[in-house]
Amino acid sequence: MLPLSIKDDEYKPPRLNLLRKVSGWFRSILADKTSRNLFSFLCLNLSFAFVELLYGIWSNSLGLISDSFHMFFDCTALLAGLAASVISKWRSNDAFSYGYVRAEVLAGFVNGLFLIFTAFFIFSEGVERALEPPDVHHERLLPVSILGFIVNLIGIFVFQHGGHGHSHGAGHEHSHSLFNGGLGHGHSHGGHGHSHEQKHTHGHSHGHGHGHSHGQDYCHDDHSLEAVAGSSKQILQGVFLHIVADTLGSIGVIISAILMQNYGLMIADPICSMLIALLIGVSIVPLLKESIGILMQRTPPSLENALPQCYQRVQQLQGVYSLHDPHFWTLCTDVYIGTLKLLVAPDADGRWILSQTHNIFTQAGVRQLYIQIDVAAM
Amino acid sequence: MCGGMAARGPGGPRCWQNRRARLLCMLALTFLFFVVEVAVSRVTSSLAMLSDSFHMLSDVMALVVALVAVRFAQRTRATKKNTFGWVRAEVMGALVNAVFLTALCFTILLEAIERFTEPHEIQQPLVVIAVGVAGLIINLLGLCLFNHHGVGGHGHAHGHGHSHGARQQHPRAGPKPEPPPGDGEAALHREETSTLVENCSSSNGVSQEKLGDMKDDMADLQVNGNAGHYPLDEEEVEEDSSAQLNMRGVFLHVFGDALGSVIVVVNALLFYGLWNPCPEDGPCFNPCINNHCMENATLSQTLGRANKSEQEGITVAGPCWLLYLDPVLCLIMVCILLYTTYPLLRESALILLQTVPKQIDVHSLNSKLRTLEGVEAIHELHIWQLAGSRIIGTAHIKCPDPSTYMMVAKRIKEIFHDEGIHATTIQPEFASVGSESGRGKCELPCRTQCALKQCCGTAEDSTAKKTEKSSSLSISCSEVVIEFPKTRRTKSESIPSVKLEANTDQNEQFESSL
Repeated sequence: MLPLSIKDDEYKPPRLNLLRKVSGWFRSILADKTSRNLFSFLCLNLSFAFVELLYGIWSNSLGLISDSFHMFFDCTALLAGLAASVISKWRSNDAFSYGYVRAEVLAGFVNGLFLIFTAFFIFSEGVERALEPPDVHHERLLPVSILGFIVNLIGIFVFQHGGHGHSHGAGHEHSHSLFNGGLGHGHSHGGHGHSHEQKHTHGHSHGHGHGHSHGQDYCHDDHSLEAVAGSSKQILQGVFLHIVADTLGSIGVIISAILMQNYGLMIADPICSMLIALLIGVSIVPLLKESIGILMQRTPPSLENALPQCYQRVQQLQGVYSLHDPHFWTLCTDVYIGTLKLLVAPDADGRWILSQTHNIFTQAGVRQLYIQIDVAAM
Repeated sequence: MCGGMAARGPGGPRCWQNRRARLLCMLALTFLFFVVEVAVSRVTSSLAMLSDSFHMLSDVMALVVALVAVRFAQRTRATKKNTFGWVRAEVMGALVNAVFLTALCFTILLEAIERFTEPHEIQQPLVVIAVGVAGLIINLLGLCLFNHHGVGGHGHAHGHGHSHGARQQHPRAGPKPEPPPGDGEAALHREETSTLVENCSSSNGVSQEKLGDMKDDMADLQVNGNAGHYPLDEEEVEEDSSAQLNMRGVFLHVFGDALGSVIVVVNALLFYGLWNPCPEDGPCFNPCINNHCMENATLSQTLGRANKSEQEGITVAGPCWLLYLDPVLCLIMVCILLYTTYPLLRESALILLQTVPKQIDVHSLNSKLRTLEGVEAIHELHIWQLAGSRIIGTAHIKCPDPSTYMMVAKRIKEIFHDEGIHATTIQPEFASVGSESGRGKCELPCRTQCALKQCCGTAEDSTAKKTEKSSSLSISCSEVVIEFPKTRRTKSESIPSVKLEANTDQNEQFESSL
C-alpha cells in the first residue's frame, strides 16, 4: 500500500497563524467605515496619552502621569468597542448558534458600567478634594485642557458625520446599536490633586474631554421597517447628548482653570469635578436602560405598539383558535426574534396559517419567527 | 426561583430569604463600617482612610446590585414587556459585579503605581491597624456568609429532576445524586399543557393560562418534571445556577475587600514595628524620599516640621523598603482578584451572548432529531440559556405533511426534554408539492438579518436570495475564510470559525443561521 500524501491544509505553523489572524482583524476593522473611525480615534487618544505620560515624566509631575494613566483607562473602553466590532462579525459556530452579534450590545453595556464607575470615582475624588483643597498647579492645567477640548471637538466632528451616515435604499434611518452610545463617552476630569498625610500636595488638572461616538455595525435591510424610526431617533439623541455633555465638561474644566488662575477660587475645581461626574452619570442612564432591556430579553420597544395588532390579525386567521406564549426579543440592533404557539382547529391548513403568520410578522419587522402549531383535540 | 412572595411550602420562602437576609445583613454591616471609617478619617484627618472608605462604598454598591438582582429575579411571572420575566436579572447582577470588580482592580493598580513613584509613610499606624482589623473581621464574616454560595460550591445536593428516566444531565452547578425516575410521561404531558415558568401570567390578555391557578414555583417543578416529589429540592436547585453566579460576584467582592484589609493590617503592623519615624521635633533625614528626584516641595513636607531638604539629619528615617511594601502587596492583590474574577466574567458574558450551554451537545441533538421518522430536515436550531437551568430551544422541522408532524411532535419534545431543554418552540414546515426530497430548503425564509453583519455572511446561503450589500464585507474576510476550514466545534473565540462549506452533510442545519 502506497501511503497517500495528503496536503494537510488544516495545519499551519503557529506563528504564521497569529500574524494572519491579526492582519485579518486589521482588515476587518479597516473595511467598515465606523470601526475605521473608531480605530483612528483610538490612535489619537493613545498618542495623546503617551505624550502626556512622557511630558509628565520629563517635568516630573505626578499629576500628569496619573492623568495619562486615566487616559489609558479610557482607551481600554475604546478598545473594547473596537474588539466588539470585530467580534460581532464572526461567523456563527456550534457554541454560538446566533453568531457573535450580541457582542456589541454587551460591549455597550460594559462600557456604560465602566463609565458609571469612572463617574463615581471622579465624584469621590472631587469630594476628597473639596474636603482638603490641594494646591493645584494650574499653569499646566490650561494647555492640557484646551488640547483635550480640541480632541473632543474632533470626535464630535468625525462621529457626527460618519456615525449615522448610512442611509438605505429605502431611505430611512436605521437605529444604531447601543454600542454607538456606549462608547460615546468622554469625560474630563477636573483636576485632582492628592494630598497625602505628609501634607505633600501637588495638583494637576487634565482637561481632556474626548467625546466620540462611533457608528456601529447594524443590519442592512432590504425593505423599510416602519418600526425602526422610533428607536433610532432615541439612540441618536442619546449619542448626541453624550457628546454635548463631554464638550460641556471640558468647557467646565477650562472655566475652572481660568477661575483658579485669575481669581484663586480653589473650590471651583472640586465642584467642577462633581458636576461633571453627575453629568456623565445622568447621560449614561438611558443607554444603560436600553442595553439592559435587550440583555434581559425584553420585548423590543419599537415593536410594542405593533405587536398587539399582529396578534389580533393572527387570531382572525381562519382556523386559529388562540395564540399563546408570545416571546419577542432583540438579538442585536434591528434583529428581532419571536416565538409563539398557535392553537388551531384540526382541519385547519397548517401551511397557509404558517405563511400568513410569517407575513404578518414580517411586516412588523420580525423576520426570525418560530411558530408552533398545536392542534386542538376535538 | 425560590418561590414567589407568598409562602408555598417549607422550602419556599426559606431559601430566598436566606440569600436576601445574608445580603441585607452584610449590607448593613458594610455601610456601618463605611460611616465609621469616614468619621475616623475626619477625626484623624487621614486621607488614605477616606479613600479606603470609598472602597467600602463600592462594596456597598456591589451588595446593592446583588440585592436588586435577587429582588428582580424573583419576578418570574411574565409581564407585558418582559415575557420571560425578570429571571435574567441575576446573571446581569453577576456581570455588573464582575465589571465593577475589574474596574476597581484597575483603579487600585493606578494607585499602586502612583505610590511606587511617590512612597509615603503611614501616619498613626495604630489607628490604621485598629480600623483595618475591624474591616477584616467584617469581611471575614461576609466571606463566611457567602461561602455557602461561593466559588463553585453550592449548599444543596439533591436531585435535579429533568430526567424522565432516560438520561441524567447535570448542569454545571455541581454534582447531584440521581433523581428518582419520576413520572415521565405525565410530567411531559404536564409540561406540554402547562404554561412554563416564563409564561405564567396572562396579564396581556393574549396568552391563556391553561392551568390558571398554577403558581410560579409549581410550574417550576413541572418544568423540571419532578413535580411534587421534592419541592424543596427543586426550588433550591433552581436557585443554584443563576443565583450562584450572583452570589459569586458578591463573594468575590467581599474577598477582594478582605484581601485589602489584610494588606492594610500587615502593612500597618510592619510599619509600626519596624519603621523608624522622624521625630516630631528636631531635624530629620529621610533617605527614602531624598533618593528620588522629587520636587523640593515634596521633600520638605515629608520631613515634618520646618525642615529644609539640604539639612543633614541627626535621625535617619527607617528602612526604605517598608515604603514599597504597600504597592507591592497591592499589585499581588490585583493579580489575585483579576484571576478569580475572570471566570465569573466569562461565564455571565457567555450566557448573555446567547451561547449554547456547555452541557448540551448540539451535534448529537441534531443527529437524534434527524433520525426520527417523519423528520426530513432541521433548520435554525438554536439553544440558549435564559438563566440558571432554564434552557430554551427553537427549531424549524421539516415534515412531509401535517399528520406526520403531529405524530412526531411529541417525540421531538421528548428528545429536547432529555437534554434538559424544557421550553421549546418547534415550527413545522411542510414540504411543498413537487419539491426535491430530503435535503430541505427552508420553506419559509429563514434568512437572518445578521447574516449581513457577519463576515462573508451569504457564502452558503442557499435558501434566501443573495443580497448585494453583503458582498462588500467579503473582501475583508477572504483572508479569514481561507485560513480556517476546520469545522470542529471550537470554543476559542479568537478564531473566527468558518461555516461548514466542505461538510455538506451538516450544511443544511446551519445554512439559515447565516
